[in-house]
Amino acid sequence: MNIEHFLNNSVMSWMAFEGKYADIVMSTRIRLARNLTGYRFPLSFSENEALQVDKAVSAVLLDEEAELETTFSYIDIKGLSTLNRQVLVEKHLISPKLANSEINGSVLLSDNEAVSVMINEEDHIRIQCIFPGLQLQEAWRQANNIDDILEKQLPYAFDEQFGYLTSCPTNTGTGLRSSVMMHLPALTMTNQMNRIVSVISRLGLVVRGIYGEGSKALGNIYQVSNQTTLGKSEEDILTDLQSITEQIIEKEREARLALMNTRENALKDRLYRSLGVLTHARLLSTEEAGRCLSDVRLGIDLGLIKNINVSILNECMIFMQPGFLQKYADTSLQPEERDEFRAKMFRERLQVKNNIDDEGEETHDV
Amino acid sequence: MICENCKQRPTKVTVTEIQNGEHVQRHYCEECAKEFHPFHLNFEQDPLSLHQLLSNWFGITENKQQEQKRQPQTVTCSSCEWTFRQFINKGKFGCASCYESFREQLPDVFSKLHNGNVKHVGKIPGAFGQTLHLKKQIESLRTLMRTAIGIENFEEAARLRDEVYALEKQLESGGENHDEH
Repeated sequence: MNIEHFLNNSVMSWMAFEGKYADIVMSTRIRLARNLTGYRFPLSFSENEALQVDKAVSAVLLDEEAELETTFSYIDIKGLSTLNRQVLVEKHLISPKLANSEINGSVLLSDNEAVSVMINEEDHIRIQCIFPGLQLQEAWRQANNIDDILEKQLPYAFDEQFGYLTSCPTNTGTGLRSSVMMHLPALTMTNQMNRIVSVISRLGLVVRGIYGEGSKALGNIYQVSNQTTLGKSEEDILTDLQSITEQIIEKEREARLALMNTRENALKDRLYRSLGVLTHARLLSTEEAGRCLSDVRLGIDLGLIKNINVSILNECMIFMQPGFLQKYADTSLQPEERDEFRAKMFRERLQVKNNIDDEGEETHDV
Repeated sequence: MICENCKQRPTKVTVTEIQNGEHVQRHYCEECAKEFHPFHLNFEQDPLSLHQLLSNWFGITENKQQEQKRQPQTVTCSSCEWTFRQFINKGKFGCASCYESFREQLPDVFSKLHNGNVKHVGKIPGAFGQTLHLKKQIESLRTLMRTAIGIENFEEAARLRDEVYALEKQLESGGENHDEH
């Protein structure tokens, strides 16, 4: 499939709104780190080793279409412009590390963008599967299947005691990082997140902002994932994450109910104001857009805001990021211009007929 | 046990601190632990903190702890030529052989990173699974052989020894010979 497809398309398979927890869990991600024996890790290997690893891994994925049950497109990172790399990062299809890499790195993307296999990131192979809603077992099954196919043809670096050998000692063992992306506005509003974060970290799990380590929780979206990879089986890692996730969902639902019961008017006021901002603002920063998106999403979940499709909100979340906006504008934008463009995009996507100030802007087909 | 701090509530949390290279254990109740707990912050920091943590554990401070650890710091991986010191500073391995080169030091590292765990349980690649299976079979045959020798059943012991030899050969050839026992 043409690379342009991946760069221009802001609708991704994980955005489909499904599953019983889909109102709170936005997506599930499984990542497996693997290395080949006989080549040093990307941190210390030579260009020649990089090329050989790239060739060996991509050949398997491109040849085994039938068994993989999906078609992969091969994308060489070096051949991409900085902006195009940024767009792939914003879609979570590649990591910032691979995007900034100087060495021979590449990514294989499945047509529906649910699977991406990065080659020569921090490890030789990073298999990633993203599913909508809470589907840890399903995502694991797919990643595991790809892993099985690769392992049949490639010699993995594995040790009886330490398991799968990875460049970072925090991945050694299963090489499995499983995470769920959750929208937790009520727990954030009621100041319960700090307490939850500290309890969870004692259980061998981590809570982060949406864009990974160190990032703030933009739009009240948190990523909960396992920290421990050694001494715990894949099954146990997934079961533990599932059970913690279900408990957080329960707490979030309780908090939403409590807010509705005690602060209904204040809550409604806030949510409708945010809807107003998204549909009428002329300048929108990423932070403000993220906050308002969270409010509107909560409004939809609570049945207060109707006529807006959640999948459009998901799409806006991807679309509002600097790289994507510039790709769409087809030119580089200064921060202020981005805010203007972002505001315009929200007005268009949320399709509000504006009677007061009709500037006759044409609607873009996205 | 009663909390060391408030001396009222029962202890729930044990905090191990390294003070001047000595492990000191403190026992607090949940309330007090919140005040003292050093790891609230660690998890939210960027990956850089990993190097800092590792560096701290393996002694930047001048004390006897370092005397013991000085030796391993100079162990060098033959494949990527990284020293153990380099591994600790970067927080990453240079290649798969590093695991072999630093094998003795690694349980300490992993124990701290993975809640005290130092051994992999979980998926095993097919090829390795075969080998592991053979090794386990050999181990159990050897145990049977020793028992047989113990009760002076030398005929049985010799038979078991031949079985072990056969399996060992199979192991050397990469475990590809499917010989059912």
